[in-house]
Amino acid sequence: MNEISPRLHVVGADLDRTDAPSKTTGSAIYTVDVSFPGMLHAKVLRSPHAHARVLRVDATAATGMPGVHAVLTRDDLADVAPTYGYFIKDQPIVAIDKVRYIGDAVAAVAAETEVQAVAALEKIVVDYEPLPWVATIEDALANGAPQLFEEEPMGVVPAYGQGASGAKYLGNNNCYRFSYETGPASAFDDCDRIFEDRFVFSRDQHFHLEPFVSVARMDGETIEVWTSCQNPFPLRKELARVLKYPENRIRVQVPYVGAGYGAKNNCKTEPIAIMLARKAGRPVRFCMTMEECFLTQSQHAAILDVRTGVKGDGTLIARDGHIWLDSGAYSDASPLVAEKAGYRLPGPYKWQRLHIDCDCILTNTTPAGPYRGFGGTQASWASESQIDIIARALGMDPYDFRMKNLKDLHEAYVPGESGVDSDLRDGLDVVAERIGYAHRESGNGRGMGLSVGFKDAGGVNKPAQARIRIATGGDVYLQCGSIEIGQGIQTAMSQIVAELLNTRLERVSYPAVNTDYTPFDQGTNASSAIVVMAMAVQDAVLEAKAKAMAFAADQLGCGVDEIELDDWTIRKGNETHPLNLMIMRYYGGTGYEFTGEGFRKAPMDHDAPLETQCVSWEFGWGAAEVEVDTETGLVRLKQLVVSGDAGRAINPRVCRGQDEGSAIMGLTGALFPCMVYDGARLVNGDGLNYRVPLATDIPEGFVSILQEQGHGPGPFGAKSLGEGCMLPVASAIANAIEDAIGVRVRELPLTPERVLAAIDAARAAD
Amino acid sequence: MSGEFVYVSFTLNGAPREFHVRPEEMLVDLLRDRCALTGTKIGCDVATCGACSVLVDGAPSASCSTFAWQVDGRDVVTIEGIADADGAPDAVQTAFTENSAFQCGFCTPGMIVLARALLDRDPAPDRTTIRAWIGANVCRCTGYEMIIEAVELAAAARREAGR
Repeated sequence: MNEISPRLHVVGADLDRTDAPSKTTGSAIYTVDVSFPGMLHAKVLRSPHAHARVLRVDATAATGMPGVHAVLTRDDLADVAPTYGYFIKDQPIVAIDKVRYIGDAVAAVAAETEVQAVAALEKIVVDYEPLPWVATIEDALANGAPQLFEEEPMGVVPAYGQGASGAKYLGNNNCYRFSYETGPASAFDDCDRIFEDRFVFSRDQHFHLEPFVSVARMDGETIEVWTSCQNPFPLRKELARVLKYPENRIRVQVPYVGAGYGAKNNCKTEPIAIMLARKAGRPVRFCMTMEECFLTQSQHAAILDVRTGVKGDGTLIARDGHIWLDSGAYSDASPLVAEKAGYRLPGPYKWQRLHIDCDCILTNTTPAGPYRGFGGTQASWASESQIDIIARALGMDPYDFRMKNLKDLHEAYVPGESGVDSDLRDGLDVVAERIGYAHRESGNGRGMGLSVGFKDAGGVNKPAQARIRIATGGDVYLQCGSIEIGQGIQTAMSQIVAELLNTRLERVSYPAVNTDYTPFDQGTNASSAIVVMAMAVQDAVLEAKAKAMAFAADQLGCGVDEIELDDWTIRKGNETHPLNLMIMRYYGGTGYEFTGEGFRKAPMDHDAPLETQCVSWEFGWGAAEVEVDTETGLVRLKQLVVSGDAGRAINPRVCRGQDEGSAIMGLTGALFPCMVYDGARLVNGDGLNYRVPLATDIPEGFVSILQEQGHGPGPFGAKSLGEGCMLPVASAIANAIEDAIGVRVRELPLTPERVLAAIDAARAAD
Repeated sequence: MSGEFVYVSFTLNGAPREFHVRPEEMLVDLLRDRCALTGTKIGCDVATCGACSVLVDGAPSASCSTFAWQVDGRDVVTIEGIADADGAPDAVQTAFTENSAFQCGFCTPGMIVLARALLDRDPAPDRTTIRAWIGANVCRCTGYEMIIEAVELAAAARREAGR
């Protein structure tokens, strides 16, 4: 105990993840593993129609089926606020007047087994009056198109700052528009060339292996719900509003989450599980199948029109853009995604004029929602494709064109915004040098492309609170609402805590999140934990540490500046004083906990377009080398080099995993079929037919390079990480295809059919 | 529900076990619901993603699509039984820890038993072999490179340990 331990350096070390012992042995508990005595199983009856009026729902026969304890239909919604959503509350718990996509929830049953629940669903009689449907953005915008909502649902438009605005329900299935404008429109008059291109983005599905799942039960008058969820506090608030139930009588518990990639925000399985549990008086588990997950949430397909003006010397001047996002059947997070897609379309370049509209178009398909990259993926696809188009038209190398126009380090993104916190040119050089871009041989079916993926990170106006408790013996409990969803946040936060307290990682515990006692957090999204929550954690640690040091100094009759904390031992010159003995001597033998509180949020700022300045800018630099078979259109990816900037990596190995996983998610949207619809019917929405990248799909030339440029706003200079490297992948590959065969493909995914069609079109034009 | 039950006896993580199972009962449900071995996960439920992988007579098998009666007389090993008899972690488990070869961890039990089966067959697989073998299961988090490296590390550790 009196042995002085060496100075520790926990941050920056490739320490084993703190969740390794449980995750490598099968003992990690996820929501799918949560079980209670007497627990029932819920199943949902889903609409076979893309769009229909619901004339009759008769569940009488289901109620008497073996094992059935509760049935939920629209007849049970009288005492609740039956619709949920983010800005617009338009999605019903179960169908009320209409169903709006194939898979829309119509009724639910809780029975003793899932088999019994499914059997009971077959006894529910539903009469539909089928309505005409729209399954694409174009069809939904057409004159006379069927409308998903005949009456405008309840909703709000948030306040925006300089240059930004929002509007809802603009007609013709357009449920939200985000707009951003800065600089004079006349800037286009100064341009020597104006480029207009339309880009199309397909929709991927998250394919998180743990499905949407929750277990709900009544604990006296308290609703307790265990759920696979990444924003438990906003979920609690929404559940309280929807269920008309006191918020302090709803307890949300989140164990390990088997990934989400953005999907696990807001209501999914929870309202149905809770309503059935209350009705049945028994715990209810609602675990979706993978097929149901495909009918619950997806990425946004998009059409992006981009008009860019440039001087003859290659100086970017002005950009107008119009984006249409395919929101699916309900608004969900579409207004937020629209904000981000619209705001990110300029990319990290110097502009004099910007004007972007981003519309959310409802279609009779799976609701689209948050997906890693959050609109930035769509924006980067269009922006970085057009950057290459322009460079080539001007006779410039796309590398030189980027180098000429990229923002400088610390240069404000747009008026009123924070400065970019990475050196973009240094980052581009990292991937260009690694892939050998300067010495490439273009043409003859082989080529290279570059891209700079970009997004604002840290969450708009995100508040985060944290609490630290240091027990008598020096063990540390970090109470923090950041959800361990795979990104390694428990490990990173624990390393930060250990470093600040000059102790060992094993000393730090990270209790599971429970909204009854975990301090408030907006949610684990937007790569915000390491730059916002981690700062709240740092504040909490430093407060607790200051209390302990003041106590020790007082006990030792010296100044705080005369002592140091070394793994819960006080060093004073050559003396060592174990803190636990000092604490028990003063507070009694049972001891005492030093506590600290932390809170962080970017200040409100009306000069900033989104009302707070961006906390951290997230970049993914990408370089791709492809070989294109012009006979078949097949694109073979030979090299994929990606790089993110961690600012300062708290755990470099964990950061590497984020960058590589992110890049391979990006590869899905680039080269894999994504969600395929036949009309309004999803044809590949299951594990067998949906192709995600496998180990055998990854080229040997796949490399990630972690940068630590040191400019981040988080603890020790950390930056947002984990989404950036998916952003450049599709455009880098499309740019490489043009480098290889001189043909531009503007539509994702880059399937052989599309590449071949582009080759044919180019030949026809010659 | 069927009134008929089928008697099965098999070795589960080294111990003899006996059950009366329904004809339609899946191995994964038997393991998770009746044996409390919840490390084995259900992902796609159609034998594609591999989150439900267990070893049956040493071969990786999709327990979501294996009837419980099919393992009668066989040797079944799950993630909970992959450690040594003395409780020391398997070389693959250690390598997954040391190389951070997991993120959300939902595919990890399946990946670990899959990799263990490879190394039991081929103590010195090259990268291409590992890639092909790991290609049987889905990991949506990692991009696979750190998993492949972990299998290489595990193979080296096993050779060093003389196994």
